[in-house]
Amino acid sequence: MPLKLPDWMWEQEAYEPVGGGNRFILQTLKSLGGVMARIRFQEGHEKKHCLPALVKLLLLLALLILLSVSRQPFVLLALTAAVLLYLATWPGKDIVSILKAPVFAGALAFILFIPAMLLKPSGIGNQILVTGKIVLSVLMVNLYHHTTQWNHVTQALRRLHLPGILIFTFDMTLKYIVLLGRLMEQLLTALRLRSVGRSDRKYDSVGGVMGVTFLISTELSREMADAMRCRGFTDDYRGL
Amino acid sequence: MHIPENYLSPATCAVMTVAMVPVWTHALKRVKLDLPKEKIPFIGVGAAFSFLGMMFNVPLPGGTTGHAVGGTLIALLFGPDAACLAVSVALLIQALIFGDGGVLAFGANCFNMAFILPYVGYALYQMLRKVTGNRTAAAAIGSYLGINAAAFCAAVEFGIQPLLFRDAAGNALYCPYDLSVSIPAMMIPHLIAAGLVEAVFTVAVFAFVRATSPDLIYEETAAEAKKGHIPVFALIAGLIAATPLGLLATGTAWGEWGADEIAEVETAGKALGYTPAGLENGWSLSVFMPDYAFDGIGEVPAYLLSAVIGVALLIIVFKVLSYVIGSRAEQHAA
Repeated sequence: MPLKLPDWMWEQEAYEPVGGGNRFILQTLKSLGGVMARIRFQEGHEKKHCLPALVKLLLLLALLILLSVSRQPFVLLALTAAVLLYLATWPGKDIVSILKAPVFAGALAFILFIPAMLLKPSGIGNQILVTGKIVLSVLMVNLYHHTTQWNHVTQALRRLHLPGILIFTFDMTLKYIVLLGRLMEQLLTALRLRSVGRSDRKYDSVGGVMGVTFLISTELSREMADAMRCRGFTDDYRGL
Repeated sequence: MHIPENYLSPATCAVMTVAMVPVWTHALKRVKLDLPKEKIPFIGVGAAFSFLGMMFNVPLPGGTTGHAVGGTLIALLFGPDAACLAVSVALLIQALIFGDGGVLAFGANCFNMAFILPYVGYALYQMLRKVTGNRTAAAAIGSYLGINAAAFCAAVEFGIQPLLFRDAAGNALYCPYDLSVSIPAMMIPHLIAAGLVEAVFTVAVFAFVRATSPDLIYEETAAEAKKGHIPVFALIAGLIAATPLGLLATGTAWGEWGADEIAEVETAGKALGYTPAGLENGWSLSVFMPDYAFDGIGEVPAYLLSAVIGVALLIIVFKVLSYVIGSRAEQHAA
């Protein structure tokens, strides 16, 4: 027996959801996704035999201070040469992902300084020097986190004898960014799917999404405290 | 508002970090005292929450989006001390792992966004709530002014760079724009757009939480008796941070003229024209740090060091005094 469909099902429908309104959800989802991907799948390459994270952190701090204080072209050139030489030994894919941020920061600084350079041409040298320093320091920070897993960053901070409660908070934060981020992703996706066709004023639900995230985060942190207590935690953050 | 590396001089970064030390110490202490033990993991979750809040794009008129900092909101939800720690940790993660905001400028960024923003926002909220009784309006105004106060501090930090740090030819070494440029450049976008985004975001989330589970909000759980030393610590941090401003005042403070200056002092348009003999031949106290400058150290670092030493000495004197008075009172009681 041939399938008989009611007439209304045969009708052609050309439904186009009204455009716009999704922008804020999409933008937010995009930035959320980017952040979580960076923590979860750290794409950097930490070699087996490399400097300990603490040494790297101290070296980074020392170099940043040197870069910031020094005004001698020789020091700056030597530092640039060393950083670029090190970068040159890397695979192309990593180089690209590492260079994006410094190039952007440098371009931004340059644009910001254009009016100053036009108004006071004698200061051009200094402005270019500062721009160069900005590029170099962003590059160094990028090199650091590209070659160091975040749990090793935590370890390095602990070796610096920061208060245990701070280290604990730092570690928890990184983990919960992923947990809460996933939750927010789900909330936003649900909002997006359920509001097709009603596209104006979607952002009225900003409060709802963040509010629900807050409520669940209080729940999660209470569960965390209970779990810690169950495993014998005695309010001593030093030994964690 | 994240200040990147090298826009600020290393001296400024050092001062701002030193200014944050009393604030962090105070916040850690208060959190340990105030928050119930089972709520400590909450700070980490709160930091993650504030970090994610910055990811949230709020639509602005004209089709663009802006993101909120949410500092006041965190202070309303967790209390200002926990907010200070949570935002500091979020900023540390941004600096170390996301390259957002300088590592050396971390202290300055914390001063603006983890200290000024939540404490100012929260204090205003408390004040307005008591005066008007309208929590929504108080939260809106508190967060709007909180973020603008933070932006103002950032603008001042930028703006004093060309005034303090120049090379021999008088050209700026770091940020080249002085206060007359940096303040409008920072304040106008914050007053018009970012402040509104912050207020809308804060009110929306705060209203939601208050409607669904008001017991989770900090002020509902905090006992009234917990009046801390916030004003004292705020004053100390503010004083340390403000010392470089003293260098900008070209004249000597009224009444503090040196013997070589007094001849030029003008009163009602007329210069004094002579040096009082008593001053000229008088005994001059050769202090440890004349005019706050050691020989061989530049004016700026010497000034900053003397600020830190001065504050430390003040604290020591007050601690000694309170100890002496306290032990006397004990003796009396015994």
